[in-house]
Amino acid sequence: MSAPAPSVDCVVVGGGPAGLAAARTAARHGVRVLLIDENAELGGQYYRQMPAAFPSAGDGVLGRESVEGGRLIDEVRSLGVELCLGAVVWGIFDQRTVAVATRDATRRITAQALILAPGAYDRPVPFPGWTLPGVLTAGGAQNLMKGYRVLPGRRVLVAGSGPLLLVVAHYLLHGGARVAAVCEASAMRQLWRYAHRMLPHLNFVQQGYRYRQEIEAAGVPFLTGHVIRRALGSAEVTGAAVAPCDDDWAPIRGPEQSFDVDTVIVGYGFVSSLELSRLAGCEHRWEAALGGWVPVRSREMESTVPGVFVVGDGAGAAGSAVALEEGHMAGLAVAGRFGRLAGREYARAVSRARGRLLHLAGFRRVMDELYRFGPGLYTLAERDTTLCRCEEVTAAEALEAVREGATHVNEVKAWTRVGMGRCQGRMCGPALAHLIARATGRPVTDAGVFTPRPPAKPVPLAALAQESH
Amino acid sequence: MTQGDLRMTAAAERGRTLTMLVDGGELTAHEGESIAAALLAAGRRLTRWTARTGEPRGYFCGMGVCQDCLMTVDGLPNVRACMTPVREGLRVETQRGLGEWGVVP
Repeated sequence: MSAPAPSVDCVVVGGGPAGLAAARTAARHGVRVLLIDENAELGGQYYRQMPAAFPSAGDGVLGRESVEGGRLIDEVRSLGVELCLGAVVWGIFDQRTVAVATRDATRRITAQALILAPGAYDRPVPFPGWTLPGVLTAGGAQNLMKGYRVLPGRRVLVAGSGPLLLVVAHYLLHGGARVAAVCEASAMRQLWRYAHRMLPHLNFVQQGYRYRQEIEAAGVPFLTGHVIRRALGSAEVTGAAVAPCDDDWAPIRGPEQSFDVDTVIVGYGFVSSLELSRLAGCEHRWEAALGGWVPVRSREMESTVPGVFVVGDGAGAAGSAVALEEGHMAGLAVAGRFGRLAGREYARAVSRARGRLLHLAGFRRVMDELYRFGPGLYTLAERDTTLCRCEEVTAAEALEAVREGATHVNEVKAWTRVGMGRCQGRMCGPALAHLIARATGRPVTDAGVFTPRPPAKPVPLAALAQESH
Repeated sequence: MTQGDLRMTAAAERGRTLTMLVDGGELTAHEGESIAAALLAAGRRLTRWTARTGEPRGYFCGMGVCQDCLMTVDGLPNVRACMTPVREGLRVETQRGLGEWGVVP
């Protein structure tokens, strides 16, 4: 730690669509780029690649995105971007010095420009039985099917909100699983209201329509205005129940509909991974349309910390098309900083990227309205439902702390250990903030967020002991 | 436990087969698979029992975030099954609580 950390032009953290696009654009303009990702393969979740040891991807149904991603990955490699894979960024110090851990060593690198593309993860929603083996997230199910061609189960209930549910059901049916039902929390009423705004995006609409038709043809009930109510079982999932919900996605009391399933897949949208942008000291704001915090950014994707850019789903989940453009924009901005792109050429490239982002934003706004997150979902947890999966703290224990005067997530953490575990509060943080807001009658923003501390992810002590430069 | 192999048969050519040990029993997997993928393909959902209440847990987020699919791998506790590739002869154990440091033979 005594010698100064070695310096590189540009470090990109995250090898999904946003990070790959950023690395490509910056490298194309002659910027020296180091790209770091936690996975063994580039691609992130959306462009998830099959393991290198698999000789071929077989049929194309599950491979469309990985083929598209594969082309981008090849380009990034051929541009000479330095890769650091299977490596966890566990800390950011002095704004732009990243601490990277591999299995048995850590090192620090100072970036002149730092592009964060950490992605997002499925919004964790506590409900009775959500910790049972056999309950998994939509993203986890996708990875299993896309990345390894393995089905998560044989008889599956899919519950959540958004177009990803249709994609998951499509993959399940393709793989030969039985889908008991697809439960969409949004009521999906008066879809015609969106027709004129969707016209420029017909390709997306058609894709969604095709999935809906396939699900109907397979005889799978598509239940709108319904939420998961509970997963049943003692050693693992042996059944599940759903309930109708109101427009706030709170379950309506009354009879529940049960399904004989061995697997429950839940996907209520995404929350951005903000640990790194917080550790870098970036300012964040509450984005009501997404029901979550996002970093404050300039139009060039620069955060409030000079030289630190945040792109893709990690800056507000908006999907891969937006992620690619944001990554490209940040790549342009970095090339501009290094004097590799200037004057009219720079202005034209930036203005084109901005035009495409504006076009995509129109589609995003419709999706955000149609599937607007309903915080009533957080009333699914019953008193003895686990809120913090790591430290095994129940909703009742957290509420007890609130009753005794805690009004901020960090206070409940100190009193109950909620959020103190290995996931660093990623699983319980959003739910806890909503639980506090409901109990105190104050806005969810008042409940705040857990203070992030390095290591952002668990790092073996052996690796820390071997810190080198 | 679900029965049989959950690998989608026509959907991919897989890596060569290898044998690993799960709680002392042999399990066939394919090179390139994660520990979690190999276990789930065989219908095994359980990865650990929790420290406080002894609840069963398994694969949840599938992308290295939730820290729920922790297992003891070659004597090293708290290894994420979803992020760790299989290897010939790998010893994987269902973890109890916070796990114990095993002796690697």
